[in-house]
Amino acid sequence: MINVYESVDSNKRKSWIIIAGFVIFVLVASVLIAKGLAAYYGYQSSGFELTGLALIISGVMSFISYYASDSIILGISGARPADKRRDYLFFTVAENLSLAAGLPIPKLYVIEDTAMNAFATGRDPAHASVCATTGLLAKLNRTELEGVIGHELSHVANYDTRLMSVVTILVGLITLLGDWLIRSTFWGRGSRDNDSKDGNAIFLAIGLIMAILSPIIAQIIQLAISRRREFLADASSVKLTRQPSGLISALKKMGIDKEPLEAANKATAHLYIVNPLKNRHDAVGWFSGLFNTHPPLSDRIKVLEQMS
Amino acid sequence: MSLPLILIIIVAVVAFYVMGVYNSLVSLRTRIQASIQEIGNQLKRQAELIPNLETSAKAYLSHEKDILKMLSEARKMKDPSAKIAELLPKLQVVVESNPELKGADVITRLMDELRDTSDKVMYSRRLLIDITADYNIKLVTFPTSVVANTFGFKSEKGLEMPENSDFLKVTEQEIKTPKVNL
Repeated sequence: MINVYESVDSNKRKSWIIIAGFVIFVLVASVLIAKGLAAYYGYQSSGFELTGLALIISGVMSFISYYASDSIILGISGARPADKRRDYLFFTVAENLSLAAGLPIPKLYVIEDTAMNAFATGRDPAHASVCATTGLLAKLNRTELEGVIGHELSHVANYDTRLMSVVTILVGLITLLGDWLIRSTFWGRGSRDNDSKDGNAIFLAIGLIMAILSPIIAQIIQLAISRRREFLADASSVKLTRQPSGLISALKKMGIDKEPLEAANKATAHLYIVNPLKNRHDAVGWFSGLFNTHPPLSDRIKVLEQMS
Repeated sequence: MSLPLILIIIVAVVAFYVMGVYNSLVSLRTRIQASIQEIGNQLKRQAELIPNLETSAKAYLSHEKDILKMLSEARKMKDPSAKIAELLPKLQVVVESNPELKGADVITRLMDELRDTSDKVMYSRRLLIDITADYNIKLVTFPTSVVANTFGFKSEKGLEMPENSDFLKVTEQEIKTPKVNL
């Protein structure tokens, strides 16, 4: 039996620990790779100049997708605006839970798809959108829908879109730097006095190892953050509705529903309440778990059951 | 870095921190007031909506009720043909203006609206309870409590409940599961 407040707090704490670890890892890795690059071209560098350059490039690329994230994603997913008469439950539930969470009512959209799923996006609560499929709206009752919408509104209230965008910028930074180093050692001629300095050779070796490993490690941490935010959104949803049973039974129904969502793809998968790409669950075990955007449904249900 | 510079930086950081905590406490207090008004707003909506819904649902149901009443009376009679002859034109009118009897839909809509309305009142109270708790926690936890005490912030009551009354006790009657009789 976990108190819902404690559960929200502990999820926040754990997710900040992962985020802090992630930022430190990105800093160390990118400086090491940048030093390797500098060593390769034979000049002395603290590594910070190149890191800064890569950060700017990665930032600009991600900023565009971040600022326009809602329109881009809603465009991809082919959604229509929700309407109070047609989508009475969805509309009123979203209205009520925004009231409880103290948020402005987000823009509401419906995707015509029989798969059961929902997602939230937008850079801050004032520009947020929540989207649900017609399959979800048809198969859930009001209590279950409250659990799901509570989860999505918690993503909005916790600024998860903003957080994941920053994380994506940092993963992009490492990937860019690593790419530069690997490409130049592969194609380039290198500096004139490559073997003359032992220090440089060591930096180059460390840089190369980091260039190969750190994009993968960074992605694994990014997915760990994504999974932690899912647990946090589940707990915050229960904090709003005080009915874990609603979310539990909604998640169970979505677990039984085997249909993949046609509008979803790998780039938008982390936004949904359950993984929309259901057919990719072939590999089992701890290792494949590292590469999931969502924690397994059975774990989420177990945690929720401890709250009820 | 020289000592005076370090001191200035420390003082600036502390000042910014105190300012941040003070502002968050003041805005939380304002939001508590606003959420109390929101409860009033929702109660007013409910008070205006429910009687209107009731009247319109009743009006809708009444003509169906007449037809059903006449039909059941006709069933009881030994020779119902006279009654049915009287009833038929009315039934035709109903069928023409309204292809099916929609009483069940009207009741479902009414129940949906009723649940939504009481949910709205309940959720507006939840907002008050949650932000009052956030505010009161800041008053008692370190280090925000230092700032709160310095500026004399008082704890807020939130949703007021009688502290020692019947709802804290469970009576013999309430232990039994209620039965629904329809």
